[in-house]
Amino acid sequence: MKRVAVVVAIVGGLTALFLFGLLRGAPDRNVPSNLLNRQVPNFDLPVYERYLAAFGPRLDLADHAGRPLVINFWASWCGPCYTEAPHLEAAQRRYGDEVLFIGIQTQERDARAAGRAFIERFDFTFPNVIDDDSRVSIAYGLFGVPETFFVRADGTLAYKHVGPVDTAVLTERVEALLP
Amino acid sequence: MRSLPRALRLAAIAAGVAALLLGVSLAQDIMLDPRVFEIGNELRCPTCVAESVGESNASIAREMRQIIQEQLDEGRTRAEILAFFQDRYGDWILLSPPRRGVLLLVWLLPVAAVLVAGGGLVMLVRRWRAAAEEGVAPVAAEDLARVRAALSGADTEPSASDEAAPHAPAPRP
Repeated sequence: MKRVAVVVAIVGGLTALFLFGLLRGAPDRNVPSNLLNRQVPNFDLPVYERYLAAFGPRLDLADHAGRPLVINFWASWCGPCYTEAPHLEAAQRRYGDEVLFIGIQTQERDARAAGRAFIERFDFTFPNVIDDDSRVSIAYGLFGVPETFFVRADGTLAYKHVGPVDTAVLTERVEALLP
Repeated sequence: MRSLPRALRLAAIAAGVAALLLGVSLAQDIMLDPRVFEIGNELRCPTCVAESVGESNASIAREMRQIIQEQLDEGRTRAEILAFFQDRYGDWILLSPPRRGVLLLVWLLPVAAVLVAGGGLVMLVRRWRAAAEEGVAPVAAEDLARVRAALSGADTEPSASDEAAPHAPAPRP
């Protein structure tokens, strides 16, 4: 009887482990950023034509030191980026005077037409720049798109959001950046 | 009929462009130092599932290989290059977790499991061997006599007591 109990326990344990592996879904990408509470890397990237008048041909992050930032990484092939885009634009219209929103097109090379169409579709009024070689996304430790970085006025990272942001997340995190 | 050659021409152009892109991608990798792939195989591709930077063809993995090449050209060591990516992505980026803190469990638990399983197996084998050495337990003389009596009785005609037994054949009508 004792031997049967041991066998049942072993088989039950292995079955539970098997089912856990089978049903747990995709690996969790929500890994905390290694940049948390550290200075975010600087970048100097080309700007989409739409923003030339306001920002010039390139956007150098160093020129905007002292302002809280919301940096959103996107790609035109990324489905969730389309979901979050209206929320980002709404947040920009609400907080744009106090916080600088920046969109970075990344992880797709030479996709200007697709990038332009994405920006026009959501009528983005905040600057969008092009990270053609994905170097900035590597500097920020990006796992995929979309990811959004909330940066304090002193240039340190307060929070990184993995996946699409919505108005509730944006409101909570942007409010936390304000003095 | 006229549209078929045109479709074929378009397909040929598309295949040519695809081959060219694949060729450019392969040429980029062929030009890389073999050490790039050795180091890349120690790094997890950020956008792939269970693939290393050395193996993946994702655009970010190709760019990371390029960064490794540039850093090797600058004279950086393997450890310095791994530290560069670790600084940005944390320990997650390393396919072999560092042997410290909680991550030490990843290394120690399999060893502990093997030791426990090995110990259990040794104990089990010892028990089996001890049982085998003990041999068959001696039979009591009384039991032996009953068995002998039963065996000798089986060769003879059934006795009166046997007929009364529940397994006795039923009398013919």
